[in-house]
Amino acid sequence: MTEPILRVRDLETKFFTDDGVVQAVDGVSFDLMPGETLGIVGESGCGKSMTALSLLRLVPEPGRVTGGEVLFKGNDILQMTADEVRDLRGKDLAMIFQDPQSSLNPVLRTGFQIQEAMLAHHTADRKSSARKAVDLLKQVRIPAAESRVKDYPHQLSGGMRQRAMIAMGLANSPSVLIADEPTTALDVTVQAQILELIRDLNQELNTAVIMITHNLGVVAGLCTRIIVMYAGRIVEEGPTKQIFKNPQHPYTWSLLRSLPRVDADRRERLRSIEGLPPDLIHPPSGCRFHPRCPFRVERCYREDPALAQVAPDQRAACWVTMDRAYKEMNAGELVDVRPGAGSGVNPGVLDG
Amino acid sequence: MATASATPADRFDAVPARAQVSLWSDAWRRLRRNRLAAVSAFYLAFVFAVAIISLVWTPYSTSHLGVVTPYGGPSGAHPLGGDQYGRDILSRLMEGARTSMTVGVGTQIVVLAVGITVGLLAGYFRGWFDTVVTLVINIFYGIPDLLVALILVFLIGQGSLGTIIFAIAVTRWMDMARLVRGQTLSIREREFVEAAKASGAKPRKIIFGHILPNALGPIIVQATIGVPSAILFEAFMSFLGLGIQPPTASWGSMAADGVNAIRISPHIVLAPSLALMITLMAFNFLGDGLRDALDPRQRR
Repeated sequence: MTEPILRVRDLETKFFTDDGVVQAVDGVSFDLMPGETLGIVGESGCGKSMTALSLLRLVPEPGRVTGGEVLFKGNDILQMTADEVRDLRGKDLAMIFQDPQSSLNPVLRTGFQIQEAMLAHHTADRKSSARKAVDLLKQVRIPAAESRVKDYPHQLSGGMRQRAMIAMGLANSPSVLIADEPTTALDVTVQAQILELIRDLNQELNTAVIMITHNLGVVAGLCTRIIVMYAGRIVEEGPTKQIFKNPQHPYTWSLLRSLPRVDADRRERLRSIEGLPPDLIHPPSGCRFHPRCPFRVERCYREDPALAQVAPDQRAACWVTMDRAYKEMNAGELVDVRPGAGSGVNPGVLDG
Repeated sequence: MATASATPADRFDAVPARAQVSLWSDAWRRLRRNRLAAVSAFYLAFVFAVAIISLVWTPYSTSHLGVVTPYGGPSGAHPLGGDQYGRDILSRLMEGARTSMTVGVGTQIVVLAVGITVGLLAGYFRGWFDTVVTLVINIFYGIPDLLVALILVFLIGQGSLGTIIFAIAVTRWMDMARLVRGQTLSIREREFVEAAKASGAKPRKIIFGHILPNALGPIIVQATIGVPSAILFEAFMSFLGLGIQPPTASWGSMAADGVNAIRISPHIVLAPSLALMITLMAFNFLGDGLRDALDPRQRR
C-alpha cells in the first residue's frame, strides 16, 4: 500500500481574541494520497480555510496552531523551523487563493511573479525561470503566453489571473496543491474552465489536490474523496459518489438537499438549513450540530459523537445517522426541516 | 496586442485591446496632461540646471565686493542689480539656487533612507520595535523643530551644508516614517503578501519586493512635498544667520542681507524672496500633480 503524502492528525487551531478563544480547527485528521483529489466542504466559518492555512503554518494573528501533527513525507511540519517550512511552501506544498485579483501583486509583471516562486527556491536561475514562466502559462492554457508574461495583473481577465496563480503554484512542480475556493471569485463559465484545468493538471502531473470550497458542485466534478466540516470538526468523510448518494450525517444530508438540481421536480422547494453556524467561542454542548439538526435525540445534547465507520470507507460523527433517520423518523417524507422536526425533540425542551 | 491567434480558450479570456501599459507609464501620461504640474516640473528642471551651471559659471563673481554699485538697481549689465556690498544679485541668486536644491534634495535623500527603513521594519514586524518607533516619532513631533535644528547646528558646528541637511532631516524624518509604516501595515494584510508567503518568499523579499513597490506612489508624493519644506527651513535658518555661512549665498541669507535696506532698495529682498516663493509653489504643484497621477482610482 502506498504511503500518504500528507498525514494530518488531531490538528487544532485556536484564535485568541479579546472576546475569548475561538476553536477554529478542532481535532481534524485525514490522509492525502499521492495524486489524490480531496475536497474539504463546509459553510463559511466552519474552519476549512483555517485547516488549509494551518497545514502551511500561515494562520494569521491572533491565531495559532495549538496541537496535532502535519506529517509531510513523514516529517512534522508543525515541528519544523521557520526556514524549513519556508523551504516547503511553494516548493512541495503550493497554495492558490480565492481572489486572483488581490492575490497577484498589482505593480509586478505576471511573468516575474511566476519566476519569483522558482527563484525563491533556487530551482531555476533568472534566464531559465523566464523560459519556464512562459511554459507554465502555456500549460495553464493562457493564449499568447510569450506576451502575457510581460503583462501586469490588471491587464489580464479574471480567469487568466486565476490561471496565472495556478501557474505560480505549479512553478516548482509541488506534490500537493492546496486550492482555497479557487473559483469563487470567477463567473460560471470561467469556473468550469478552471476546474477542468485543475483536473487535467492533476492527471498530467499527478499533483495531489486539496480543494477547499463551500460549493458541492465543485467537489462533485473534481474530487474522489470529500471531507465535510462543521464548526471546526470533520462530521463526515468518504468517497464523493458514496456520500452524495448516501450521506449519513444530517448536516451533509441538509447540505445536499440545499443544492439546486436541474433534474428535480419543478415544484420541489429548495431546503435551507435552519439557523446559523454556532459561535465557536461558546460552542454548543454535545454534538455541535444539534441546535440545527432535525433528527436530534436527547443524547446529542449531552455527548459529543466521534467519527465512526458507517459504511465501507465512509465515516460520520453522529449518534443517529441518516440510515436510522430514514427508518425511524420518516426522513424521506420530511418537508419541515426545522430543528428537532424529525425526532420530535423540540427546541425549548432541553435548549434552555 | 499580440493575441492575434484566437484559440477557443481566449474567446472567454481575451481582454479589450490595450497597449502595454504599466502603472508608471500611466501615471506619467496623466502627469503630462496636468498643465500646472507640467509647467512646474519644467521650471524646476530649469532651476536644477541653473544650480548645476552655477558650479562652473556665473555672470560675475558671487563673493567679490563692488562688482556693482552697492544698492544699485537693475541695469542692462546687472539685470537684478547689486546688494549692499556691491555683489551681483543674479550671480548670487544662481548660487542660492544651488544651496536650496542641495539642501532640499539632500534632506529628502536622508529622510527617504531613514523613513523608508524605519517605516517598513516597524510596519512589517510590529512588536516592540514598532512600539519604540511610534513613541520616538511622537516625541519628535512634540519638540519644536526649530529648537532641535538650532541645537544640533550649535552642537555640530555651524556652516557646512552637511550639518544643515542633517539638522533639517532630524526634524523631518517622522512624516515619511509614519507614512511608510501606515502603508506597510495596510499592504502587509493584502492577499498577495499572503500568496508570496505561501510560495516561500523570505521576509526581505516580501518587504522590498512586494510591499515597498506598492507604497512607492505615496512615498514619491511625500518626498516631493517634503523638498520645499526643507528649502524653506534652510532659508529661515539662514535668515537668522544660523544656516549657510557667508560668503556662500543662500536665498534666506540674501533676503536677510537686504532687510535693513528694504525701504530704499527693495530689489535686494525681492529677488531671493520671489525665487524662493516660485520654487516652493512649483514643488507643491508638482507634488499635487503627482498625487493625482499616481492615484490608481483616478484612471482616465
